[in-house]
Amino acid sequence: MNFAPDTPLDIATAVNRATPPSGQPKLKVDKLNFYYGDNHALKNINFDIPEKRVTAMIGPSGCGKSTLLRVFNRMYQLYPGQRAEGSILFDGVDLLGKGLDSTVVRSRIGMVFQKPTPFPMSIYDNIAFGVKLHESLSKAQMDERVEWCLRKAAIWEETKDRLHTSALGMSGGQQQRLCIARTIAVRPEVILLDEPTSALDPISTSKIEDLIDELKQDFTIVIVTHNMQQAARCADLTAFFYLGELIEVGVSSDIFTNPREPRTRDYITGRFG
Amino acid sequence: MASLARRRATDLVVKAISTGFAALSIVLLAWILWTLISRGLPALGPQVFTNVMAPPGGNGGLLNAIVGSLLQIVVALVIGTPIGLMCGTFLAENGRGTRIAGTVRFINDVLLSAPSILIGLFVYQILVVPFGGFSGWAGSIALAILIVPVVVRTTEDMLNLVPIGLREAAFALGAPQWKVVTLVTWRAARAGIVTGVLLALARAAGETAPLLFTSLGNNGWSLDMSRPMASLPIAIYQYAASPFEDWVALAWAGALLITVGVLTLNILSRLFLAKMK
Repeated sequence: MNFAPDTPLDIATAVNRATPPSGQPKLKVDKLNFYYGDNHALKNINFDIPEKRVTAMIGPSGCGKSTLLRVFNRMYQLYPGQRAEGSILFDGVDLLGKGLDSTVVRSRIGMVFQKPTPFPMSIYDNIAFGVKLHESLSKAQMDERVEWCLRKAAIWEETKDRLHTSALGMSGGQQQRLCIARTIAVRPEVILLDEPTSALDPISTSKIEDLIDELKQDFTIVIVTHNMQQAARCADLTAFFYLGELIEVGVSSDIFTNPREPRTRDYITGRFG
Repeated sequence: MASLARRRATDLVVKAISTGFAALSIVLLAWILWTLISRGLPALGPQVFTNVMAPPGGNGGLLNAIVGSLLQIVVALVIGTPIGLMCGTFLAENGRGTRIAGTVRFINDVLLSAPSILIGLFVYQILVVPFGGFSGWAGSIALAILIVPVVVRTTEDMLNLVPIGLREAAFALGAPQWKVVTLVTWRAARAGIVTGVLLALARAAGETAPLLFTSLGNNGWSLDMSRPMASLPIAIYQYAASPFEDWVALAWAGALLITVGVLTLNILSRLFLAKMK
């Protein structure tokens, strides 16, 4: 565990333990354009997200990284006026195609938000809520599932004695791990993390980063972050976005130590953003 | 410096005026409450709750009026709450930003401030006249029409207070919209919604005008909703203007009962709201 994360030395050690991507893309973004009304927010994006790896999307505010994340689970469809063109192949099926049901897409591509969003119910029910949407489990099976995902999210020890108390009584860091547990409980294949630690203190942040490392054994992870050290520490692959364009994508160690594009270098060295 | 002195003087005058009027309104309220208690309490014997209304000097009570009021209000609530809840939910969840929602909201606001006697006349025209008589049902429907706009308004306001993030989190787990609404947003806003229903109830409980043309009032004992039915506001209206001392005393007792009931509802709703915040 790393309690003093933001030093250059840490970037180097973190990059060394990052796993290089395998050949298998889980999500294949192809000629993607996205519009908020007339605002062209994503411009011809093409890139692959490998299975069971952590892919980070970085870039200054408004660069389109969160927008892209919200296209992956079709969150944008909740809002009239937002539209996507192009395709995103998810195991070969086009996520933007008409035939797919959004609720099914979202059960297979889960999402954790910037602010912890526990539902106003017990810890147990927070998890059962998502599971019940897609499966009917017996009480015993549900107990098992709740324990499984809380353990996966490294929060079982803290919650096992208070499963039936309100989730609103937990600390921010615990709430965020509960939200991760809740997402895992549905057993998605991809987990989207939208700046999951920006509202948390350093200790909670480091717990979540450790967790991300664990989770990539089972899940494909896409994380949007403003914290470049976090991307360097957690991500196998990093994609840099700027003004709606994908500037550069590559193995994190290359992006952070030897970027090809001058704009990437300027951003990661803090010249803008 | 002269201007500073002037500003201080202006400040003092304005403060004095506003404090004065605030005090005046509290004094008026206290005066009303005091009159109510001093006249109502002595008249509030056990016979008020055990005896039905009787001719002057007949040791009558208000039992039929109390039961009639409760019955009509409960039925009004059963009719009005679901309509108000669903309409408020439509405005906050489904119709956000659409033209139809704007229209519904405007009409609801008009209804919210419509004089209650108009609602009474309306129900008189559509229910009492065609179906040949005054009835408890007609009274309940008039009260329900009074309740709906209040519930619509508070439901919409309370649902709008629920953060978008909470809805998105539920959608992100693959929930269809109706489950997001019923299991997450309603739950998050329930204290506020209950408050709205209680406030609507409080408003309906004290209304006389909508009942005058609908349930009319009844001096005898009746639980039959299809016949004219007694209610506290109408009993007060009838008794307070009468020349008989015992009737006037009963009117005060009834007024005290309604006030205590409405006050309790208001306090309850404040408690619920405090719990939500």
